[in-house]
Amino acid sequence: MNGKDNKQNTEMGSRQTIIERIRQNKPETKPLPGSFTGNQEPVSKEQLSVCFRESLIKAGAEIAEPDGNEGLEPYKEKHFPEAVDLTDTAVRKKYSSEISKKELEKTGTVIIEGQFGVAENGAIWLDETNFPNRLLPFIAERLIILLNKENIVSNMHGAYRKIDLRNTGFGVFISGPSKTADIEQSLVYGAHGAKRLTIVLFD
Amino acid sequence: MARKNIQIGLFIPCYIDQFYPQVGVATLELLQKLGLDVRYPMKQTCCGQPLANSGAEKKAIKTYQNFIRNFSEFDYVVSPSGSCVYHVREHYNILEQTEEVKKVRQNTYELCEFLVDILGIDDLKIRFPHKVGIHQSCHGLRGLKLGKSSELVAESYSKVHRLLEKADGIEIIRLDREDECCGFGGTFSIFEPDVSVKMGKMRVHDHETNGAEIITATDMSCLMHLEGIIRREKKALKVMHIAEILNSNSL
Amino acid sequence: MKGHAAKARQFLSDNERADWQDKALWAVRQKRDVAAGSVREWEQLREQASQIKENVLSNLDNYLLQFEQAAIQNGVQVCWAEDDRQFNETILRIIRDHQAQKIVKSKSMLTEECGLNHFLEKEGIEVVDTDLGERIIQFRNEPPSHIVLPAIHLKREEVGELFHEKLHTEKGNSDPTYLTAAARVHLREKFLEADIAITGVNFAVAESGTVVVCTNEGNADMGVHAAPVQIHCMGIEKIIPRTEDLGVFTRLLARSATGQAVTTYTSHYRKPKPGGQMYIVIVDNGRSEHLGLSAHRNSLKCIRCGACMNTCPVYRRSGGYSYGSVIPGPIGSILAPVKQMKDKQDLTFASSLCGSCSNVCPVKVDIHSQLYKWRQEISEKNLFPKAKSYSLSIVGKVLGSNGMYNFSGKAARWALKNMPRRLIYNKLNTWGWGRELPEVPEMSFKEWYKKNGNERKRQ
Repeated sequence: MNGKDNKQNTEMGSRQTIIERIRQNKPETKPLPGSFTGNQEPVSKEQLSVCFRESLIKAGAEIAEPDGNEGLEPYKEKHFPEAVDLTDTAVRKKYSSEISKKELEKTGTVIIEGQFGVAENGAIWLDETNFPNRLLPFIAERLIILLNKENIVSNMHGAYRKIDLRNTGFGVFISGPSKTADIEQSLVYGAHGAKRLTIVLFD
Repeated sequence: MARKNIQIGLFIPCYIDQFYPQVGVATLELLQKLGLDVRYPMKQTCCGQPLANSGAEKKAIKTYQNFIRNFSEFDYVVSPSGSCVYHVREHYNILEQTEEVKKVRQNTYELCEFLVDILGIDDLKIRFPHKVGIHQSCHGLRGLKLGKSSELVAESYSKVHRLLEKADGIEIIRLDREDECCGFGGTFSIFEPDVSVKMGKMRVHDHETNGAEIITATDMSCLMHLEGIIRREKKALKVMHIAEILNSNSL
Repeated sequence: MKGHAAKARQFLSDNERADWQDKALWAVRQKRDVAAGSVREWEQLREQASQIKENVLSNLDNYLLQFEQAAIQNGVQVCWAEDDRQFNETILRIIRDHQAQKIVKSKSMLTEECGLNHFLEKEGIEVVDTDLGERIIQFRNEPPSHIVLPAIHLKREEVGELFHEKLHTEKGNSDPTYLTAAARVHLREKFLEADIAITGVNFAVAESGTVVVCTNEGNADMGVHAAPVQIHCMGIEKIIPRTEDLGVFTRLLARSATGQAVTTYTSHYRKPKPGGQMYIVIVDNGRSEHLGLSAHRNSLKCIRCGACMNTCPVYRRSGGYSYGSVIPGPIGSILAPVKQMKDKQDLTFASSLCGSCSNVCPVKVDIHSQLYKWRQEISEKNLFPKAKSYSLSIVGKVLGSNGMYNFSGKAARWALKNMPRRLIYNKLNTWGWGRELPEVPEMSFKEWYKKNGNERKRQ
């Protein structure tokens, strides 16, 4: 038996010890409460939309909205001509997990489609199906998230009802540009992740 | 039950007994004015809180028992101290819960709470033409829930405000921090004197800058601490226990 | 004076700085109030969170095993560590297995608790804390003074000077935007060259083996996705049963911590990235023993939001370092005695028991009641200094007896009235340091009542 196996064996022993100690020390079973049923007042689509926008602005994000006639594709081309558009299959291929970090670091603007937004806090859910490389949404200087206006839920309870974590390797709620207030509590955008976040709402 | 048939035991906390007898007198007079049968059991000492908060709960048991002995015969025990009342209700759980103990714990009330909840009074028809800052003593506020504390998300209410607000001529000032602790904290004031005084100074400052002439509270202990600072710093503010205001000249 | 009181005295000797600290933290408390107030069902949420955590503690063994099994199925390597030493060794082993040299780490109070940085540095491994606040204090070789705002004790000028020295920023420039930009460049480099990324864990979902990490800066994600190997370190109490429970906790966490509706990034790590490796290290380090303390297990519900620190009038006026423990403030004062009841007894007295901490706690840890309980236990185990024990015994005798009470009261009032001021306001009279004693009345209430009580009654 080599040293490494030895250590791993001790760790397995630790697992047993910890579990045993918990069994000895845990209190008698307390019931797991049912699903949270807080405020269940119906909310109109209109209200959700207003609330979502307010939350995004509060979180430091920008909102853009192509007008009805314009269409999403021309809008993207006009406003973000240089962007790495991950809704494009060819681009997705290029930016798969094999791409080097050095290459990724050059990424200026990235366009990603978001799955749905949360009105109470402006968070938008994305998972691996939305980006071919996990680092991309974070390493880009600027992030554009496309979101269908219809896809807004009221709060995080609704949000997690839509998510099955068993279907994804990595998923994230993003609610604004990267920020910090670690120097004297003054808010600065662009700590490590995207410096700007723009949400493009489309029909 | 008619008011005159309600037997009330008056509990005067030790530091009020020793240093602020006028607060005891005001409480007694006020309850008597309301037509209640009030008695002060002569063998009472203290609720035991100074010991228990210092960690010596077991050493306080004799004091607890003395409290129960003195007060078990009454329908209600009323006291001008939210902190002591809270102690009796919350921490006399270490005594054997006899009928007597349970009765006393259930029926011990802080003065304002007694007036509002038991007697259903919120207008004492008094005149008090002063600018008053209300210091929300923590055990009354967060322990007895005399009002909604600022941390909680709920309907706003305050039994203390309700009683004072109707006084003729009174102006209740708004504070920057409506219910921050004054830093007395019993023996905390002795073991952590620097933090305690700093906290007290900032409370006094809040009342002062917002224009209070008088700081009032449901607990004289907080006021003793604040008064100590006011006098050391030679400020013009005064402190008055709420019983003294509620017992002031009637309309 | 020793312990917390002495360090607080030192902190307060710089009055201006003390006021500044209080104001900064109070502002966070106010933001928290606004954020909590925007959720009508806030108090129900707290209750739900508390009940979920109570359930978790009562079924922790099974949830941990369920979590482990799910994680293994996800391709994650799960390690267990009984204590800090074993935890550090485990991390070192993983590092050695991957022949790694450069480590980036996002915020984890657990690694602070276990002293991971120092341990690894001694082994010649570079560990870079990537949260801006953490990086600042790492440069200064200081521990965090707050669990969410680690550098809250520092002024911008101090950070400016530090960055001038370490990152060669312009001398005298202390603009937070400028300094943050410099840190971004510096840390970007560290992210890209790191061999391993370490993170803490906010929540670990038993049913899917997912770990959730919340940050505003995005540093956990930058680290995790850039490095080939990711390690997530969690205390055993981080478990929650279901995905839906995340709804409850993510609504509470950021609002309680900073007053944001949610953190900028709420990241759910379940499987390693393609070609990468993912480890989860589950750490006990005293928690399973703590679970056995029926009077104190409630504090294991803590989700490390820091709200109790921001609201605590004592913390705000004594600073994080006055507590001398990894986790300062009210929650720290009830966690520290679990392992060091004697040495940390002063912390249980660093509170006026105002109860504000318990009211802001998103998982309803009864912090101030716990402080009270610890005081009783410390006293019963005879861990007080002798003088304190003795004087409490005397007070106990006096207050327990009507006769002794009356006599002592009278004697004290006589003394206060008749003794010269310099004797009363002596060095040992800590009350008198910043306050006057009350003026002594002619008689006590009891004496007055004896004289006037019966007469009054007849009126």
